[in-house]
Amino acid sequence: MTTSVRTEARSSGMAVWKAVLLMLPAALLSSLTWLGNLMGGEIDPLIVVALVASWLGFTVLFVLMLTTGKTYRYRSIMFILTAIALPLDFIPYMLETYGSMMLSEDVMFNGGASFCPLTMPMIIVPALVKGVVIFPGEILPGMAKGAFSVMFILWVGASLSVGRGWCSWGCFYGGWDELFSRLRKKPLIKHRQIDSRWRYLPFAVLLAIVLLSAITFSPIYCEWLCPFKAVTEFQAPSSALAVIQITIFALLFLGLVVVLPLLTKRRIQCGLFCPFGAMQSFLNKINIFEVRIDLEKCTQCKKCIRECPTFSLDESSLESGKPLMTCTKCAQCVDTCPQGAIAYHIKGTPLKANSIVAKVLFLYPAYILLMFLGAGSVAAALYRILMLVTTGSMLH
Amino acid sequence: MQGFLLGLANGTTCLAFCAPALIPFLMHEGQTVRQNLVMVLKFLGGRMGGYLIFGLLAWATGSLLSSVAGYEGLLIGIAYVGLAAVLLVAVLRKKAPAGSCAFEGARATLNRWPALLPVGMGFLAGLKICPPLLLAFTGAASTGTLIGSLVFFLAFFLGTSVYFIPIPFLGVFRRVSALQIVGKFAAVIVSLYYLGAGILLLAGGVL
Repeated sequence: MTTSVRTEARSSGMAVWKAVLLMLPAALLSSLTWLGNLMGGEIDPLIVVALVASWLGFTVLFVLMLTTGKTYRYRSIMFILTAIALPLDFIPYMLETYGSMMLSEDVMFNGGASFCPLTMPMIIVPALVKGVVIFPGEILPGMAKGAFSVMFILWVGASLSVGRGWCSWGCFYGGWDELFSRLRKKPLIKHRQIDSRWRYLPFAVLLAIVLLSAITFSPIYCEWLCPFKAVTEFQAPSSALAVIQITIFALLFLGLVVVLPLLTKRRIQCGLFCPFGAMQSFLNKINIFEVRIDLEKCTQCKKCIRECPTFSLDESSLESGKPLMTCTKCAQCVDTCPQGAIAYHIKGTPLKANSIVAKVLFLYPAYILLMFLGAGSVAAALYRILMLVTTGSMLH
Repeated sequence: MQGFLLGLANGTTCLAFCAPALIPFLMHEGQTVRQNLVMVLKFLGGRMGGYLIFGLLAWATGSLLSSVAGYEGLLIGIAYVGLAAVLLVAVLRKKAPAGSCAFEGARATLNRWPALLPVGMGFLAGLKICPPLLLAFTGAASTGTLIGSLVFFLAFFLGTSVYFIPIPFLGVFRRVSALQIVGKFAAVIVSLYYLGAGILLLAGGVL
């Protein structure tokens, strides 16, 4: 490959002044969101520091994303930070509120468990058939219990704006297996050693939990299969059943989020297990953004297939010019393609249309989603860390 | 008529209780609409057998509580473990890994009796105690005669079966091989769930 082709492929960024100009509305919106936290009551200087630092950090990373063309790298930093930040803030909150990460049965049944978007596939059928929400949780501390309609609206909005892009931009758990999948330079288990049929497992988990939740009227995935209970909250081991459940959570976290991503350099939980991601794959159909491969530029080097962290590209993709429906729009293939043959694309527009425009139009809602769902956690976690440094404790 | 109406009113719940076993199984089998219809009829036949046993029990005891109290967990536990076993067998039967002589032998044996698998699944699904079934049990027990009790459960069965009519149409998607793989995985997950739940129930009603 000539240097000029490589340079052309890499130069998918834009001028800094344009990026800063584009950044301004998002920066303003985010500053308003975060400054809202300062309204009312006495202002803690540590909160101000945490908010300003996170706001600046996210703003700079977005500008870098636009100007360097390394979307995956800077998205990944924000995504991983968000995932790590969530338990850094949530666990101290649990300790302050309940004295433990473990919830008693009373607290669980009285709506003490936090609402999570992963419950959405299990909730829809009982809500439609019987008009009941089977998850007795609250969305945010202090918000009305059972106010699942707020999360529902958020989820619909996110699905419309980024589709399955949720899994690489909105999900505040996905950063964990992305982190572990990036720690090793080379995989110990190569992608061709993994049977492609495993890609269907998330859809099977989705089908099974929807059906089982409909008959048991309980969120089966949350009760038995969620690996992220290990880093958030879980039921106190007050019975043999609870001990079994906690053991399953820990083993799933270790296996799907830590060990297998380390061995394969792939997001195993997101790509081969998560039922919410599977549901988002279907909702992707109503989203206008997609990733496309320009078959005229493609040299079939298959680097994209080797690099895709969620098993969303295979040989059929290189024939059809489209990734599989599980594509999370993480930008890894867009950034790594040596020919610059892969780009974001708006459905219904010509493939040769300006890819930078499509990229910016996608990145904008994607970044706002990431910021809206994750940046608050980052600021809160930073605040906890500053508290730890200055007072010796992360708790109020 | 009362049994039929009760079945019709609660059929969606009955379908929900049977769907986790039936739908993944049919998806995995990947048959035509016609073949699926036969499968569903076999399943329903087995389920009717389970219901008739309840009809018999309802007549024999004349009272829901005295017959089920104390044995409810045991009965559901056995039904769960049995359902899990039949579902797992149904999935393993078709695409078991080759190479093991003992396994090949077992598979050959199973392949001689494939027609009975949906019947067995239906029978065990029929034995699962769900809220509508308890209602039907009470209604049947109040008839006071064996024939009345059996007819009540038969009518209840017919009422609930109306909701199974769309299921054979899953066969429309039979050519989508991905659905068969999804069905297979889902059947394994569902059977593991029933196996675990059944074992816990048999172990002492922890669940």
